[in-house]
Amino acid sequence: MIFAVLGILIGIAFGLLLPYTYNVAYSLYISVAILACLDSVFGGIRANLEDKFDINIFMSGFFGNAILAAILAYIGDRLGVPLYYAAIFTFGGRIFENFAYIRRILLKRRIKK
Amino acid sequence: MNKITRPNLIVLIFSILIGIFMAGQFKLSIPNLAPVTLKSIEVTKNELNALYKEIEDLKLMIADKNEQIKMLESIADGDEDIRDILQAELIKNKAIAGFQKVKGSGIIIKMQDNMMEGAFGEEYDLDLIHDVDVLMIINDLRAAGAEAISINNQRVLSTSEIKCGGPIIRINGRSVGSPFYIKAIGDPKLLSAAINAPNTYGYALKTIDQIVIETTVEDNIVIPAYNGDFDFKYAKPVKEGD
Repeated sequence: MIFAVLGILIGIAFGLLLPYTYNVAYSLYISVAILACLDSVFGGIRANLEDKFDINIFMSGFFGNAILAAILAYIGDRLGVPLYYAAIFTFGGRIFENFAYIRRILLKRRIKK
Repeated sequence: MNKITRPNLIVLIFSILIGIFMAGQFKLSIPNLAPVTLKSIEVTKNELNALYKEIEDLKLMIADKNEQIKMLESIADGDEDIRDILQAELIKNKAIAGFQKVKGSGIIIKMQDNMMEGAFGEEYDLDLIHDVDVLMIINDLRAAGAEAISINNQRVLSTSEIKCGGPIIRINGRSVGSPFYIKAIGDPKLLSAAINAPNTYGYALKTIDQIVIETTVEDNIVIPAYNGDFDFKYAKPVKEGD
């Protein structure tokens, strides 16, 4: 958990220092992809706490979800249907779900100690 | 638990990746787009048009000033006499101010009260031509690019009043009565369209109030000069640099 927050902060600092930007037109896809990645990271933290962490599952989820979400947003744009809502609801919901599990595990550990 | 384990390291690395992308998103600083309404499009369009017009005017002004510079140079060289130039300018300014008799193509509008016998007790107020009607017609003519206008041989100036005086109308302090002959010099097609086209004020007067409005297009209309006195009591010219 701490590592994820730390990593995101480092990444933001790093990214702001880097002189690179991308086209505004891709902003929607990237934001949906970021949501998917966040979900994967939360999933990874949860799996780690449950001692079920598998790097292959984590990496495939991280990139697969991001790409799928971006493609969904793109297809939605083409069809005129906001399909990226599907990604937002799924991943948004799962982030909270994973966070709930993480909270429970951490709290249980504290009680045990 | 605080020991850096492999999964934690991986999570850290990928979190950094997310952070970089997020930072990219921040850097875009996507402008806060307000929804574009038809009205805002129209407003922007009007602003654009006004700006274009201003640019055109400024360009014209530059050309005008260049011309003046050339003229002044030719005076300095002794090619032209300054008196001729001042004379030409005087005539031009007089024409603009309305102190010069002018002629050109344009239209003559005859406006007459509705003389038809109405039923007894009918409202006859609408059958008469009022000062407002004449004002609106004059305004339409000006919008259509009329360069000189007269009403019953009274030149309409920038200071001319058109006031109701009972059965007559007062223009330039003189009384004129129905029928009114409004002469206007300008593009005849535009001018007659400004009076006769559907949904114009003249059209409404003609079709709704049954007021007689006849327009004739003529090639050679003479509009007399303003024959009054003109003396500003309050308005004083501001000199450049004041």
